[in-house]
Amino acid sequence: MGGGKGGERGTTYSNMEHADAADDVDYPAGARQQEMRRSVASPSSIKEKSGGSTRVVELDPSGVMDDYEVVFVKDNVSVHPTQNAVGRISGRLRLIKQGASLFMTWIPYAHGGVTREGPNVVIKGGLRNRMGSNRAAERDRNLYTIRAVSLSEMRSIRRHTPPFGWQYIIIVLTSGLAFPPLYFHNGGVKEFLATIRNHAILVRSAEDANVYLVNDIQDPLQRSLTSLELTESPAPAVPASSQEAPWPVILKEEQVGRSPTVADSYYRQEQSSRKTKDPARDLSMHVLEKFSLVTKFARETTAQLFGESRMFLDGLDMDRGPAPRPPQEASVHADVKIVENAKEAQPVLAIKPADEQPTSPPKPTEEELNADEQADEEATTNVGTFELVDGTQVLSSSASSLDFGDFDNPLTDNSPALVWGRARPPPLGSEEWRSFLDSEGRVVDPKALRKRIFHGGVEPEVRHVIWKFLLGYHQFDSTYAEREFLMASKKEEYEILKAQWQTVSPEQAKRFAKYRERKHRVEKDVVRTDRTLPYYAGEGDDNPNITLLRDILVTYSFYNFDLGYCQGMSDLLSPILFVMENESEAFWCFAALMERLAPNFHRDQNGMHSQLLALSKLVQLLDGPLHDYFKQVDCLNYFFCFRWILIQFKREFEFENVIKLWEVLWSHSLSEHFHLYMCVALLKRHRRRIMDEQMEFDTLLKFINELSGHINLESTLRDAEALCLFAGERGAACIPPGTPPALSEEAAEGWSD
Amino acid sequence: MSYAYLFKYIIIGDTGVGKSCLLLQFTDKRFQPVHDLTIGVEFGARMITIDSKPIKLQIWDTAGQESFRSITRSYYRGAAGALLVYDITRRETFNHLASWLEDARQHANSNMTIMLIGNKCDLAHRRAVSTEEGEQFAKENGLVFMETSAKTAFNVEEAFINTAAKIYQKIEEGIFDVSNESYGIKVGYGGGAGTAGAGRGDASLAPKGGCCG
Repeated sequence: MGGGKGGERGTTYSNMEHADAADDVDYPAGARQQEMRRSVASPSSIKEKSGGSTRVVELDPSGVMDDYEVVFVKDNVSVHPTQNAVGRISGRLRLIKQGASLFMTWIPYAHGGVTREGPNVVIKGGLRNRMGSNRAAERDRNLYTIRAVSLSEMRSIRRHTPPFGWQYIIIVLTSGLAFPPLYFHNGGVKEFLATIRNHAILVRSAEDANVYLVNDIQDPLQRSLTSLELTESPAPAVPASSQEAPWPVILKEEQVGRSPTVADSYYRQEQSSRKTKDPARDLSMHVLEKFSLVTKFARETTAQLFGESRMFLDGLDMDRGPAPRPPQEASVHADVKIVENAKEAQPVLAIKPADEQPTSPPKPTEEELNADEQADEEATTNVGTFELVDGTQVLSSSASSLDFGDFDNPLTDNSPALVWGRARPPPLGSEEWRSFLDSEGRVVDPKALRKRIFHGGVEPEVRHVIWKFLLGYHQFDSTYAEREFLMASKKEEYEILKAQWQTVSPEQAKRFAKYRERKHRVEKDVVRTDRTLPYYAGEGDDNPNITLLRDILVTYSFYNFDLGYCQGMSDLLSPILFVMENESEAFWCFAALMERLAPNFHRDQNGMHSQLLALSKLVQLLDGPLHDYFKQVDCLNYFFCFRWILIQFKREFEFENVIKLWEVLWSHSLSEHFHLYMCVALLKRHRRRIMDEQMEFDTLLKFINELSGHINLESTLRDAEALCLFAGERGAACIPPGTPPALSEEAAEGWSD
Repeated sequence: MSYAYLFKYIIIGDTGVGKSCLLLQFTDKRFQPVHDLTIGVEFGARMITIDSKPIKLQIWDTAGQESFRSITRSYYRGAAGALLVYDITRRETFNHLASWLEDARQHANSNMTIMLIGNKCDLAHRRAVSTEEGEQFAKENGLVFMETSAKTAFNVEEAFINTAAKIYQKIEEGIFDVSNESYGIKVGYGGGAGTAGAGRGDASLAPKGGCCG
């Protein structure tokens, strides 16, 4: 088990494969909900825990393993995006088992009939006006929804059991990213952890008793520390042997693209849950919590609760949303009890937090963004970087409190649709593409188009059209007629350029060493480019598409004689020719791409060095400890990321995914340097292994090289997007102007926001 | 897999001289004319046996293009052996040897064992560099010399193993401080366990002179 932890299993490859396969679970949660409904409805597979608020669904040993089973349900688990009760989003937390895999989902409650635009968070009377708009609520809902994150993707779960107020957990993923805190308004953290423990390996961290490492079997000592924990856990529902089973590959690509509202309607249809006071809640546990272990984050939250206890009773219903009313109102009483406790405890507890953390709203300060300057205990627990936990909290709270006005706020302009497990929307098809055009063929809103492509990519049938815009070969404000004319004249121009070298006579060639050398180099390389693809298959130059690659590259080396030909160019051209299927168009698209990437191939490598430097600064910003580690092992040149950057991850993904990635990168929607955030996301994803195994330059380079073919595109894009949003202006400030693929001013027309 | 020593090798030389093919022939015993050109660096590894000791060769196959030189230089660090490869059918690849050697001398450990390889000796009819020229260059620069064919596998085994034997000899002579990994040598845990590994037994250490043809 433990797909994400490469270390403990035999081979690196299979581990990463499994981890990445498990990443794919994001989207089709909706589809699986249907399956779950079946399981839930089947009486034989449901066991009610009498008096408890959890419904445990046991595996029927004779049952079909393909079925999904809900093994844990908890209602009124909330995300608190802001300090204020108004922004709280309540939802249902589930653990779902399929085969040997366990997934967690958290779906916010929908309000009544779910529509795309409809208000989905119930906002209690007087509090409503303090919310910017219902759209903001909707946005938050989408932002925080967790659709089937695999346990193999989790790094750790931190349990927070403040002496009063709600227990909450923070889940840190193997990538180092974390979900926002999930508050258990009806208790149940213990049962949650116990259930996980029954299905996966959950290890209490030796360093912090509140941190549970998921799937961590590296340290037997730590493992033994889990004993005596969670004694009230339900009996194991799975034979222990199944824990040894590898994570199966569950999802297929084609499942991606269903409507996310399926899950919501599933919720509505589901029978009402029986929420009662959680008998397992043990308030004394709260009291026992040591302040020395209370994190900065917990302190902030504690402080928040002080400020909110007054309106807490008002806000009580809000969190329940449209959830079916529980038959008994016990849960309400339970909550009230907490509040009363809170009031009593307030004078005592207020002392500590006030000392260390101001109660003012958290702001993204210099300190918070520079983790290396902030050696608080959370950053050093070695269970992932926690600064992002705070960061997202800060980000979302500031976004919400800004009313989503037209501020220069990343959340305002770029709805982070991929963050927190929301799936990529389906790719842009030809019909939708036409909707972006006016009657004469101009792209009416290039920014919206780019954003759309950033999030969903494009369908193969419109790719050859849209790439021309993305690459800057076609202007967004050009008309059909203008483009027709351009293509015709460019075709002519290409023929002239091509003739320049094709008409070099053998006698002339003898006296033209540069020409001979270039042609030779190109010829040597095109026969070594993507030959495993049917489109370029064959031996030698017997495939006409190989000849096209050669002709375009030699022509380009005449078109841009100063730059000439350099290795890596054939990698960049190959997908373009494959998509364009037209020599002249492929040439001009390639030339347009080289307007951005030519510095990658300069002899002095200045373009590469500036990108590697920017990457170094980004890692420093987004993962201080990792930066420090690289510094310590003298790896700050980031040469191990050289190939990633030189040819835009061309060698790291399957061809099909390279194409999908490139259109995202070229959309320049969130950042024109999104590829650098991809690098950070990948490094963060493997940060623990890198540091645990104390990789140095050689081992690191080898490790990074061998990631090739084992990287999950969608989850990496999602991580990169989260990082990019989080870094915001500070991230952009890490990247000096002119760093490739920055566009020249002329070419940038139509791209500025 | 246990080994007595791990040696880091680096393969350098102009683009298209057959560096990746040599590596593949050595590690996989096959010739694959169609493979992706190398960007940055690729890795290969194989166990061999010298003096009844299992030795793991970790081989860095570098990109040959001139413009990647600045990054290739970073790969020299900690290499115990280098194969400097040229193509006997392309004179310019031989002409560039001096510049490669200069890089190696400047950025690698001074005790790095360098083997000069004239590859593609199966293409005798297109030979542009004589064996004597290769030998001469090697002699002048204190290198071991061999002509190979990654296609026919001629001398490939020997090229890698002879280099390892040289390195091993230097260890025996105490030239290397094996506890210092900057020499490109790691001491493994299988020291002395002569039968471990996938090595193909004691390969002949005697270089074959001349070339096929």
